[in-house]
Amino acid sequence: MLLSLFLTFCKIGLFSFGGGYAVLAMIQQEVVNINAWMTASEFADIVAISQMTPGPIAINAATFVGYRQGGIPGSLVCTLGVIFPSIVLMLAITFTYIKLTKLPWFQNIFQKLRWVTLGLIAAAMLLIGKTAFTDLFSVIIFVAALFVTWRWKTNPIYLMLGAAVIGLIFG
Amino acid sequence: MPNSLFSIFITFLKIGAFTIGGGYAMIPLIRREVVEKHHWINDETFMDGLAAAQSCPGPIAINFSVYIGMHLKGFGGMLVAVLGTVLPSFVAIVIIAALFTQYAQLALVQKAFHALKPAVVALIAAPLLQMTRSSQIKPAYLWVPVLVMILVAFLNISPIWIILTTIIFSILQSFWQKNRNK
Repeated sequence: MLLSLFLTFCKIGLFSFGGGYAVLAMIQQEVVNINAWMTASEFADIVAISQMTPGPIAINAATFVGYRQGGIPGSLVCTLGVIFPSIVLMLAITFTYIKLTKLPWFQNIFQKLRWVTLGLIAAAMLLIGKTAFTDLFSVIIFVAALFVTWRWKTNPIYLMLGAAVIGLIFG
Repeated sequence: MPNSLFSIFITFLKIGAFTIGGGYAMIPLIRREVVEKHHWINDETFMDGLAAAQSCPGPIAINFSVYIGMHLKGFGGMLVAVLGTVLPSFVAIVIIAALFTQYAQLALVQKAFHALKPAVVALIAAPLLQMTRSSQIKPAYLWVPVLVMILVAFLNISPIWIILTTIIFSILQSFWQKNRNK
């Protein structure tokens, strides 16, 4: 059981490109459709919880599914499984990067990728924004947060704690 | 101790604990900690890592932790960075899974998120402007990030295709320029 959890989540980690939300689709495929470890509605709850809990969504979902299937050992195994391919591949990429960083054609790749990255971050901002702006209150919070972070370079952690408290009081 | 294993661990523990709503939300946090506060790496190295983390399979937060950990203190740095990123989620989820499954429906949690989500959008917006400046992108090429944003946010194109296309294009461009200069 534990081994099949580990292998399944290794596969999920290996084949999910493009961050947490893409990983969720992959987990659903494996956990609901292929292995039938849980129903689609149970999985929907897990997605909601994963998004509302601190930490990378994929890690949250893996820990949750693992706990449901095999308690603490299950959650450990799933979490390790989902991060294992990342660690191996990123180590390889980082080593290559450090070695090749002097070569002009390699520098050219990363110069262009930096432009692309700006667009990707902007896209992520828009995607979070789609679910964030539901009413005037959220727009006010956005403008206030933007002003505070721009004007005083407030530590994001304090800003998020502040926003959470304001949400609890006025939200 | 500028970048001891312990300070790397604590930094990534903070990042893991305050990444809400997916890997991208941690970009401002990591940038604040490793670029602005500790000056461990510069904006260029930061953005190169981001590009690498996005083109590699798996959670972006983990990929990025591996990259930064390696840059700061080799293999040990990588291990403590990943451990720091994972630990808060792991503990939080095990507690939630064991105690209350109705967590997401809790009115208090929803209230907090009502204000947290727009704050996260603002937190991503501000460093985006600074990163645009430090990328030294020429105004004539600003259409590139704008196009990427439209492709990903509105047409649901996976970032991996855009990154692969960019890599192939850059390599072809380098070879073309080399041949022309001969």
